[in-house]
Formats: sequence, structure tokens, C-alpha cells
Amino acid sequence: MVMPLHRVNVLTGTKGAKVVTEAAEFADTIKRAKRPLFVLGPRLLGTCLDGKSLVEYALEIAKASKAPICATAHIRAKMMELGVKPDSEYDVVEIINRLKDPDWKGVRKEGNHDLVVFFGIRTDLGNQGLSTLKHFAPHLKTMTLCKYVFPNADFSLPNFRKDEEWKSFLETLVSKLKEEG
Amino acid sequence: MTQTAEHKKTKKRKEIEKIIRAEDNWEPIGATPMPDVADLRNWDMRLLKTYAPWYAPFCDLCCFCTYGKCDLTAGKRGACGIDIAGQQGRIVLLACCMGLAAHGGHARHIIDYLIEKHGEDCKINLGDNVAVEAPNIRTVLGLKPETLADLRTAVEYAERELIHLVSALNTGQEGSNLDYESKALHAGMLDHVVMEAADIAQITGFKYPTSVADTPLIDAGVSCVDIAKPTILVIGHNPATSTNIIDHLRKNDLYDKVEVGGICCTALETTRYADKAKVIGPLSRQLYYVRTGIADVIVTDEQCIRTDVGIEAKKVGTAMIATSDKACYGFEDATEMDADEIVKKVVEEGKQYLILDHEKAGEVAVKVALKLAPQRRKHLLDEKEAQELAKSCRECEICERACPNLMSIGTGIRQAGQGNFEPLRQMVDECIGCGKCDQDCPRKIPIMRIMQAVAGTDTFKVRAGRGPIMDTEIRNVGAPIVLGTIPGVVAFVGCSNYPDVDDIVEMAEEFAKRKYIVVMSGCAAMVAGMKKDAEGKTIYERFPGNFDAGGVVNVGSCVANAHITGAAIKIANIFATLPLRGNYEVIADYILNRVGACGVAWGAYSQKAATIATGCNRMGIPVLLGPHSSKYRRLYLSKKGEDDWKVMDGRKREIVDTEEPSPEHLVYVTESKERAMVTIAKLCIRKNDTPQGRAIKLNHYISLYKKHMGSGLPEDLQHYVRTDKDLPIVYKKEVLTYLKEIGWKPKPVLSLPTLIGTYPTKVPLEAVIH
Repeated sequence: MVMPLHRVNVLTGTKGAKVVTEAAEFADTIKRAKRPLFVLGPRLLGTCLDGKSLVEYALEIAKASKAPICATAHIRAKMMELGVKPDSEYDVVEIINRLKDPDWKGVRKEGNHDLVVFFGIRTDLGNQGLSTLKHFAPHLKTMTLCKYVFPNADFSLPNFRKDEEWKSFLETLVSKLKEEG
Repeated sequence: MTQTAEHKKTKKRKEIEKIIRAEDNWEPIGATPMPDVADLRNWDMRLLKTYAPWYAPFCDLCCFCTYGKCDLTAGKRGACGIDIAGQQGRIVLLACCMGLAAHGGHARHIIDYLIEKHGEDCKINLGDNVAVEAPNIRTVLGLKPETLADLRTAVEYAERELIHLVSALNTGQEGSNLDYESKALHAGMLDHVVMEAADIAQITGFKYPTSVADTPLIDAGVSCVDIAKPTILVIGHNPATSTNIIDHLRKNDLYDKVEVGGICCTALETTRYADKAKVIGPLSRQLYYVRTGIADVIVTDEQCIRTDVGIEAKKVGTAMIATSDKACYGFEDATEMDADEIVKKVVEEGKQYLILDHEKAGEVAVKVALKLAPQRRKHLLDEKEAQELAKSCRECEICERACPNLMSIGTGIRQAGQGNFEPLRQMVDECIGCGKCDQDCPRKIPIMRIMQAVAGTDTFKVRAGRGPIMDTEIRNVGAPIVLGTIPGVVAFVGCSNYPDVDDIVEMAEEFAKRKYIVVMSGCAAMVAGMKKDAEGKTIYERFPGNFDAGGVVNVGSCVANAHITGAAIKIANIFATLPLRGNYEVIADYILNRVGACGVAWGAYSQKAATIATGCNRMGIPVLLGPHSSKYRRLYLSKKGEDDWKVMDGRKREIVDTEEPSPEHLVYVTESKERAMVTIAKLCIRKNDTPQGRAIKLNHYISLYKKHMGSGLPEDLQHYVRTDKDLPIVYKKEVLTYLKEIGWKPKPVLSLPTLIGTYPTKVPLEAVIH
């Protein structure tokens, strides 16, 4: 089992994340999902990779995935500034609360989501929320795009020591998602 | 019911009536005087139906008994039969029992101590402006306490209940997560009883200021003590010893010659007793301060003390005395030794002692400080020295992995090594003071000392705790709060496990400026004062200390939190004239539906904080928590607009679907202060708001939303607009356009919304009509 960067998130348990290093594998999982959802958090604010903000990366990935976005905390303001209105505005514990109900209709009222991609939630809160879904939402899978291991996700990135590795992963993910088929 | 059961019930009722002096006719006795564990279960289940527990397990396993460890993932049950939800409820109950026991232990100790000092017939005295002296005790027990002995009775009742609650935790007892939650809510309710008993006893026994709003402004901050003077640092919550230190100083004409500073709630207690004492800071400043070595003596009492404080004190040559049987640290018991002999051993041999005689502990602390101070050289690291120490950082990031607040400490230290202190200075406000970074640094860099060196040397002002809200104040604000024209009461409470310490003052100021009533307690009350505006004034110097629109009120320490629930109860009693006596459900129902109050425990870390919040929840007060509190594992969340929001219209006696999620959640975590502020405004909305009051509340909700969430309107706004009279004038046109777009239809406005009548209860509907 791969250790998370932050010790507060060390798994005390039996069911840990699959750490994925290949963007193509993430892209395949997203493409296979019927109703993916992106949950974006405030840690996307204020961080850039080579001058491009993380919010822009997140929006690009969601767009390439044709998936709706749920804006948590106060990230909506930045999204609006970038001309993107989020599909829903639940806070992170609220969206998780709705996701764990298999009968919930989802943010587009088309049925609950089968894959939820978290990006930009602080790791301790995110890992706790992922624990909720791990234990109480067997009907969906979870994935994270932050540069840290989230043990309670189904699929997590590794702890990228260098931002260039993370940037390369995100950019490859976008291009793989854009590929047909 | 069998004859035996009936007999037992009658016997029990008679016992209760004896304890609460039923013959004293001050109010009729309600449905649940001195409720047992299951007496308010139906109320709890009604709350939990709308505000269902949300669990975030910290651990996949149960390791409580020798059957285990048991894996509880994927729907599996443990060897005892428990499932993951049940186990979370069980841990929550455990936490709440710990919190109740901590406050109850404090209350029991201080009441016994004060009874020994003043006698059990000592009349409680909260001044001329507080006639409803103990709203929690009146409501829960049905007792109107008159003496210290009556306060002891209240604590004894909580002690009895606590045994039953703890017993439910044993393997093979309770099995339902909802029943664990009901018991946790019971523990929370009792917590407010014992906190109230403790603080009333302290106000009475130590003659703290009461029935006044304008309490003294106290010097505060890590740099507020004169290091040239002998310095005593008191840490914890219980003022039995710190008041004796002050007495000894006063008696020996040393009050101006020795510094007494406090960390955590003992600081707030001591400064209520002596306004020349100082507030060093909250829990997050404990290790910082101890490691500076400024204190000549550290005196600990109980709760929120670092358990390695004796080891840390020894490292910097600070003497240490423990004074509580709850926190002895392995020290030799010197209670029976001669005071001068203890002083000699401490000063000459560096011995650390446990002294359970508070008067003696006070005398020893002062004498040790006087003897030790001239022998010690207190040296604070300057920036130049800090830079030298920081230079050996290789940015290995091990400190960052250890940091529970996820800070980029390595970057800060590396920059400090290059002479740029700004990044590290910013981090001081985020640091929770745990010291894990220091511990893990492979190069043994004293990170906390370096941070302390760059932290600045400013001093601040904190308003001394004032105890209960006065009845006269409640008379003035009761109507505007219930009608909604004062948009809410926002209480910033609890510990200092903040994402950023500055969040507290920023949020408090935002709501004070908007004419909410802002209340403070505990560590939050301290840190609120530790920020100045451009004119050098703290929040306590800029806003009045009275319980009124735009006031910033410091009620006091942890145990003073009972005065916040007490104020909500008094609104039901003094404004709405509802009887309190043994009338818990009626009062909680009133508060839930009509008192726009919201607790904010932005840095909650302890079991005590969890218990306080849970007590607020049973009373119908929602609590908003910071991100760390997801580690409490449980929240109470509704499904927002998609939940059941039916209530009884008490006037028409019919069930009405209000479709209005107010209050939306009972205990809730959010990640950022921006979202918190928007949510606080929403959590103050109540079904009872008049159109005028609702318009004011929606004005704040919308304007905070626009400020922090960008353009547009909240996507749940339609839930809170009942008729167009609810619309704030400033946004009326924009909101009407939005409502038209989404096909909004008017909803009923109720003047007497209640849950009574919507679930099985012994309380008749007539009981809520006033």
C-alpha cells in the first residue's frame, strides 16, 4: 500500500486506493463511466503549473470528459471569472451526502453518478469524504487528481515530488480524453 | 404497563420531585424533569430523521475488544455484530462521554472546592440583572438552583446519567447507530448542564464580574509579559490554583512584581479574577511559549494541557507543578510536604511535583518564581540567530509530511535560511503548534523556535469574560431575534485547530458589522483579540461588549459556553414566556424553529468541543465546523431542498409542508472561511421569521454570496423565499427575474411552526402555544 504524503491521511484499514501513474488509465476509466462528475475545491485557487492555473486544468479536463462540475467552498467565483458556470454548487460534505444515496438523481437529474473525480479539496477533508463514499456508496467509484495519494479513493495519483510530473500527467490526461474511441 | 412498572415509575417521579423541590411553585413541571437516557429519544429521532448522521470513518476497523480487529468494510459486521455506521455512532458517543466527563469533572471539583471554602448553603449570585440564573439546569432538571449545593445536585444527576451512557459503549450493548446518536445528544445536553453549574459556581465563589457588559480589557499575546519580572504560566481550565496564586501575590504585596499569564481557558478564568493577569494565547501557542523559557514556573490544572509539558519545561529550565488529580504526569505527590521544603527541592534540585492543595500550590508557585527568576537567563531568539539555524534545512519535506495543517513548512524554513522571513511569518497564523515538524526534522532544526523568532512582538487586548447574558439584554433583543430583524446570533467558540487563525477575527468582524450579535468563548475569544486594524485597535476595542446588534461579547472560557445556549433558552422564557421547568422538548423545538442562532467551532479539536456542539444540536442550534472537524467522523446533514420539511402550524393545528430547509444542517463542515460566512448567514434563517426579518436575512445571504461566490444568486435561494414580501429591496428585481425563470411558487408563512405533533411525544401541542 502506498503511503500518503500527509501522515494525517495514513490508512488504518484494509481497503486502500489503487495508485495510478498512467494518464491513459485514468482517461479510460473516465471514458467508461456513464455519468461522471467533477467535484472541484478551493485548493485549485492560487496554484499554477507553468503559469497556467489549476482551475483552468480542471475545467479543461471536465470539458474533455463531457462531465458536469460541482463547485465546492468558494471556487465558484473563480470559475465565473473564467466564464464557466458550475452545474451545481453543493459544498463538499453536501455533495458527498447526496452521492451516497443510490436513488439520488444527480446534478443533471439523469441519475446518480457512477464516477466522481475530486480535485482541489484539502487532503485531510478530501480523504475523510472519500471514506464516506468508500463505506457508504458502493454504487460509485472515486478518483483524485491532486498530486498526493488519497488512500480512501478508488483511484489516486501518486505523491508527485516534482510539479513537472503532475503537469505532464494532467496534460496527457486531457489529450487522451480528447482522443476518439 | 404492569403494576410493578407503574410503581417504579411513580417511585422514580417522587424521587425526582424531591430533588427538584417540586413544591416550590415557580413554574409548572414539564414532561421530562431530569430525563433518563431514553426520555428524549423520540425528540432525537425526529431530529435525526431530517438531519441524518453523515459518517466519515477514520478507520476501516474496530479494535475495541479481543474478538478483533474486525474489518467493517463492504458491509461486513464485526464479530460482535456491529457495522461501520454503528461503530461510528459508538465512537461519537465515546467522544461525547469524554467531553461530558471533562466538564463534569471540572464542575464537580470546583463546586466541592468552593463548598469547602464558602459552605454548601452559599447563595449563588449572578448580580442584579440575571434573575433566570441557570436556564440549562432549569430546563433539563426542573430545578431552580439557589445554592452551591444545588449546583452539586445538577452535577450529580449528570454523573448518574454518564454511567448509563458509558455502559452503552461496552461490546454487546447498543447496536443501532441512531441510538448511539441519541445517547450522544443526551451527553451533549448534560454537558451544558455541568458547564453551567461550573461557571455559576465560579462566578459566585470567585466573585467574577457579572451582570455587566463592559468588562476590563486584558493584555494579551505571546509578548505581553515583562520578561524582566518573575513569570508564572498557568495552563488548563480550572481556576482553583490560579486564583490562589493571585491571592498569594495580593496578600504579600507582590501583585505588580510578578507576571501571571495563562494559556487556554485558565487564562480567561484568571483574568476574570484579576485584570492584571494576562492572556498569553490559545492552545496553539502552548508549546511555542513553553519553549521560549520565559515562564519561570508552569502550573497546570486540567484539560488541553500538552501531556509532555513537564518534559518540555525541564528542557528550558522552567519549574513545573501539577495541581489536578486528572493530570499528575507521574510526579511525586508533595501535597503533604511543607511549602518551603517543596520550594527548596524545586529550585535546587529541579524536582517537579504534584500538589493537590491549591493554596499551597499557589504559595509554592510564587515563591519558586521569585527564587528562580534571578538565576535564569531568558533569551529569545532573534531573526539573525533564527536565520543561522534555518540554514541547515535541505528541504527534505519531512516536516511537511508531519504537519496536520498541511503547511509547506520546509519552504518557509528554507526561505528563512536565506533571510526571507515573510513566508514563515505567514505560516505562524496557520500553525496549530503541535511540534510534529520539530520532532521529525532529521537535521534537528528547532522549527518552532525559529517561527517564534519571526512571529513579531505585538501585544493585544482581549475583553475579559463576562458570564451570563443579562435578562435585561434578552428583553431588548428577544423580539428582534425571533422576528428576524436582528439577523442572527453567531457564536464563535472552541479550540484553536484552525486552518488559519486570522479567519476568526475576519468572520467575527464581518457579522458584527452586519449587526448580528457576535458571541465569543474559549480559544476563539482570545484569538479574536489578537489582530489589530490600521489604527492599532482590536475587535474588542472597536465593538461594544453588550448582547445586542453589532456587539462582540466574550462570555468566558469553555464552561461559559453554557451561557450561549442559556441565552437562547432565555429568549424562549423571557420573551416568549414559555416555562422552562423540565420542559426540554418545548424549549428545543422553540429554538430550532424560531431563534436564529448559529455556533461556529472553526478550530474544534477536542472531545469536549464535540460534546458542546452535540448539546447545541439537541437544543436546536446548528453548528458550523472547520475542515479538521471532518475527523470527528460524524455530521448531521439534511438532503437540503429534497428533504422532509413538514412542520405543524401551531395556530391552525395542521401539518404544513414548508419546503424550506431551515436550519439546513445541524452540524456541518466547510473548507474555507468564505464558504463559512455564506453558510452562517443561511444557518440563521428560521421558519418563524417575519417577512421583514426574512428580507434582512436574505439580504445578508445574497450579499455574502455575491462577495465570495461571484456574480449571480445562490442556487437554493428559492427555498427561502416564501412570498415576495421576503425579498430584500436591493436585490428585488434580480431575484424576481430568477424566481420567474425557475417557476417558483409562493409558500406558506407560519407564525407558530413546531415539530411537536409531527412525532410521538408526551408533549401536547398546547404546550408550545404562548
